[in-house]
Amino acid sequence: MAHAGTLTISNLSKQYEVKGEVLPVLKDITLTINPGEFVSIVGSSGCGKSTLLRLLIGLEEDYQGEILLDGGRIVGTSLERGIVFQEHRLFPWLSVEKNIGLGLLNAKVPEEEKRRSIQEHIELVGLSGFETAYPYQLSGGMAQRVAIARALVNRPEILLLDEPFGALDALTRAHLQQELHRIWQQESITMILVTHDVEEAIYLGDKVVVMEPRPGRVRRIVPVALAHPRDRAAYEFVRIKEDVMREFIGQPAEEVIEPPLRAHDAPSDRLPSTFRFAV
Amino acid sequence: MIGSAAQFTSNRRAEREAEPAPLALKRQRKQAAVTHESVRNFVLAWPFPLAVLAFWYVAASRGWVAAQVLPSPETVASTFADLFRSGELLANLKISLWRVLGGFAAGALCGLCLGVSMGLSSTFKDYVYPLFKAFAQIPVLGWLPLMMMLVGIDEALKIILISKAALVPIAVNTYKGIQNVPAGYVEVARVFRFTRLQLLQKVIFPAAFPPIWNGIRYGFTHAWLALVVVELLASSEGLGFMIVFGRQLFQLDVVMAAVVMVGIVGFSLDKILALTERRLLGWRRHGF
Ligand SMILES: Nc1ncnc2c1ncn2[C@@H]1O[C@H](COP(=O)(O)OP(=O)(O)O)[C@@H](O)[C@H]1O
Ligand SMILES: [Mg+2]
Repeated sequence: MAHAGTLTISNLSKQYEVKGEVLPVLKDITLTINPGEFVSIVGSSGCGKSTLLRLLIGLEEDYQGEILLDGGRIVGTSLERGIVFQEHRLFPWLSVEKNIGLGLLNAKVPEEEKRRSIQEHIELVGLSGFETAYPYQLSGGMAQRVAIARALVNRPEILLLDEPFGALDALTRAHLQQELHRIWQQESITMILVTHDVEEAIYLGDKVVVMEPRPGRVRRIVPVALAHPRDRAAYEFVRIKEDVMREFIGQPAEEVIEPPLRAHDAPSDRLPSTFRFAV
Repeated sequence: MIGSAAQFTSNRRAEREAEPAPLALKRQRKQAAVTHESVRNFVLAWPFPLAVLAFWYVAASRGWVAAQVLPSPETVASTFADLFRSGELLANLKISLWRVLGGFAAGALCGLCLGVSMGLSSTFKDYVYPLFKAFAQIPVLGWLPLMMMLVGIDEALKIILISKAALVPIAVNTYKGIQNVPAGYVEVARVFRFTRLQLLQKVIFPAAFPPIWNGIRYGFTHAWLALVVVELLASSEGLGFMIVFGRQLFQLDVVMAAVVMVGIVGFSLDKILALTERRLLGWRRHGF
C-alpha cells in the first residue's frame, strides 16, 4: 500500500512569457492536500488547471512560491507521482500490456512481479482480455482506462488526473467515475482531479477547489461531507452543486463554457504525417 | 425500482456494445485483412496489365508498328527465355543487384546517420540542412559529369550516385520524423523518468519509425531508378547496359526483355519491403 504524503502548496505563482509579454497564469495559490484525500479542482477553461498539474507533477520547474511534499520541495518528475493526461497519450505502437508496462520500466522490482502487477492493473480497470490489443482498437473510454492503469501500476503516492473523462459520452463517463472512486478507496492514494464538470467534482471529491481565471486563483474551497456512494439527486448533493455553480456566476460567461479541444490538446494517437519527397 | 433495474440493464448493454469483445477483435483483424481485401486487391490488379498486353499483342500482330521497332510479345518472351537459359540475363541481373544493394546500403546508412543527427541536434541541423537541401535538389544526372571527372566511370561512380539517390529521401524523412514526434509522448517519458537512452529507444525511434520507413522505401525506389540511369550512361554490364546495347544493335526484343526484367525485379523488391512493413507496422490503423 502506498504511503501518501501531505502536499502543501503555498503562494504559488506561475507565468509564461509570450512574445516578450508576461502572461500570469497562476497567482497566489495556497492549498493543502492531505494524504489519501480526493481533491477536485474545477474552473473555466484557461484558468490554469493544467498548468497547476504540470507544476505538481514536475514537468514545469519555473515558478514562484512553494510546492512541498512532506516538507520537501518538488524537483522534477518522480515515480511517486503519476498523471493521467487529458488525452490518453498511449503509445500506438505498443499493446495495452506493454503500454502499462512503461510505468514499471524504471521500477526496481523483479520481472516476475512486474508481470503480475501489470495483469492486476489490467483487471483493476476492467480490461482483461485486451492485453494484446493496440490503442487503435480501443474505444475512448477503454484507452483512458489503460492510461489510468499505466499511471497506477507503479503505485504512486499521488495521482493527478487532468480532465480524464472530458471527451467521453455521459454513460461511459459515469461508469468510469464509479471505477475511479473504487480504485481510490482500494488503493488509498491521494488523487487530484481536474475537471470542468461540477457534478463530477462533487461526486468524487472530499473537497472541491473552485478556481477563477486571469490569472488563475483559488476562489473558494467547498468541502463535500457526504457519505459514499453519493446520490447525484440527493438534496444535499444538489445544494452543494448549486453552491459551487454560484461561484461561476460572477465570471465572464464565455469562460464558463468549455471550448472544443485546442489543437495541441487533440488526441495524440496520430503520428507525424509522412510526406513524399521527389528528387 | 423496476425502472432503475431496466436502466441498469440498458446501461450494461450500451457498455457491451461500445466495447468490442476481445475474441471478436482478433477474428475481425485476421479474417477481414487476409481473405476479403487481399482477394479484392489481387483481382483488381490484373485487368489493366492484361489489357496493355492484349493491346501490344494486337498492335504487333496487325503490324501497326514495324516489327523491328515493336517486337511481338511472343518474340520478347522467347528472347527472354533464351537470354535466361544462356545465363546472360542472370549474370547482368546479378551485377545490377550488387550495385543497387551496395549503393542503397551505403546511402541508407549515411542517410539514417544524417537524419538522426539533424533530428536530435538542432545545432547540427542549422549547420547542415541548407547545404543538404541544395545538394538534394540536384538530380542524379546532374552529378554524373562531375562525378565522372572525379572518380572515373568505374564501380565507384555507380555506387556513389546510387547511394546519393537513396540517401536524400531517407535523411529527410528521418529528420522530419524525429522532429515531429509529439511532445506529449516525450512528457510521458519524463513522467516515468526514462533515461536518455530509454527515451530514444522507447519513444523517439518507434514514434518516428513510420516516416523513416517511408523514407527507406522511397530511397530504395530511387536507388533502383538511379541504377538504371547510371547503367544506361556509363556501364558495360548490367540490365541498363543490356537496354542500351540492344538498342544499338537494333535488337528491340533484347531491350524489351531487359525492361521486363527491370520491372519484375523492381516490383518484387518493393513487394518485399511492403511485406516487411506489414509486419513492423501492424499497430497502425489504416485511415483510407
Ligand atoms: N507553454 C505555454 N506557453 C504560453 N502560455 C501557455 C502555455 N501553457 C499554457 N498557457 C496559457 O496558460 C493559460 C492556462 O492554460 P491551462 O493551464 O492549459 O488552462 P486549463 O487547463 O485550465 O484550461 C492559458 O491562457 C494558456 O494559453
Ligand atoms: Mg487543461
